Amino acid sequence: MGWQALSRSAIGTRHQSHHLPCQDAGGYRTIGNLLIGAIADGAGSAPHSALGATLAVESTLNYLDSLEQWLQPGQPQWPTLERAPSLQQAQRLFQRTAHHVRAALQQTAEQNGYGLEELACTLLAVVATPHWLAAMQIGDGFIVTSTAQETYQLLFQPAKGEFANQTTFITSPTAFEDLEVITIDSPPQFICAATDAFERLALHLPQWKPHAPFFNPLTEYLAETLDPETDDEYIVNFLSSDYLNKQTDDDKTLLLCRYVS
Amino acid sequence: MPVGLPEFVQNPENRCPVILLLDTSGSMIGDAIAALNQGVQLFKDNILADAKAALSVEVALVTFGPVKLVQDFTTIDQFTPPTLVADGVTPMGEAIEYALDLLEGRKQVYHTNGIQYYRPWIFLITDGAPTDPWEAAAERIRQGEVDRKFCFFSVAVEGADLKTLSQIAPVERPPVLLHGLDFQSLFVWLSKSMKRVSSGRVGEAVALPPVGWGTVNL
Repeated sequence: MGWQALSRSAIGTRHQSHHLPCQDAGGYRTIGNLLIGAIADGAGSAPHSALGATLAVESTLNYLDSLEQWLQPGQPQWPTLERAPSLQQAQRLFQRTAHHVRAALQQTAEQNGYGLEELACTLLAVVATPHWLAAMQIGDGFIVTSTAQETYQLLFQPAKGEFANQTTFITSPTAFEDLEVITIDSPPQFICAATDAFERLALHLPQWKPHAPFFNPLTEYLAETLDPETDDEYIVNFLSSDYLNKQTDDDKTLLLCRYVS
Repeated sequence: MPVGLPEFVQNPENRCPVILLLDTSGSMIGDAIAALNQGVQLFKDNILADAKAALSVEVALVTFGPVKLVQDFTTIDQFTPPTLVADGVTPMGEAIEYALDLLEGRKQVYHTNGIQYYRPWIFLITDGAPTDPWEAAAERIRQGEVDRKFCFFSVAVEGADLKTLSQIAPVERPPVLLHGLDFQSLFVWLSKSMKRVSSGRVGEAVALPPVGWGTVNL
């Protein structure tokens, strides 16, 4: 069967009332049994962060899509590898990805006469095969996964400064040092990447423990849906519901993936 | 589709601590103290009118002199603006140190309880020159601003010693001179700004509404 996936964003009520665009972006691609996905949350303080987030997601997917760039010559393709890459390999892959994304942002900034910081956004990305997954994160937001071994594992604690509204962006001077990477050597069954609007709704603070009743319905939705891309009403309605908007006035993005063997 | 909606965790709200550091020395007697009292009430009403800010903002009120904690940190719905009375000298240095310590204590409470918070605001409103040593307090303010521990705003009521106040205020945020006794506009501005700060993620810089109630002294 392969991967089922869906990425949707909805504008926050605060952005609506201030006539700001949705500054979140998300996307994914499936290439055979390989899934690559990314989400980005544009900084509210950066004037062109909506463009930054869109571009960051697109250029992440483009880069990871061009598999040969991150394969050792002569080795089999990563999707067919049954064991996860080493952490060092994954770090190298995502460091290159982050550099590539930043170069793309820099180029767009120069073309438009913007400063790089004006495109500030977070970046979360995942590469998954039927056997393993690898993921990266710069900034806040979260990725939660389920494997046969463990239900709802938070991959990284959202990066926060002292204050709730401080985080790192791909455009920050410390972005590459703050880049976090993980590999999970176990078949992924469910992946949920979300922007920071969901942090306080889906994770128990201060332990940052995933709240199963948040993720269970999302898992069920994927299980009952043949093609999430065409059957997206449940997620679209949820993202723009009063039920959710009462809890957050921020932009919201969900990337949901499920592997069906 | 028979799928229920995702259930949310009931986490504590992110907090936005605000300290009002108000000069109630003898020279504030009369119109000034009356206008200040009105202003504090207006601040409360304005924050309450914004659902998101009302959940986030926690206010503490310190007066001088003498230095007194009139109201420890409390949520805005629990905040009853007191009737301030003008009396005494102007121990501004001691008041600032007190406020900074109060803030550190509050941050500890947040840490202990796993509560996230926004960059705190300290708002000093004064009409006079300090009657105590203030140099150490000024140093703490400047260092705190450099370390981005808080935002310190100083507001001078007309007739205040702006020269000393400029030495106390952070370099990047010089004192603002209030037009007459327009505390009303000042507190409306403060509540508007708090609403912005307490609203979700804004990165480092918060675009504050323009100051319409005073003159920025550079």
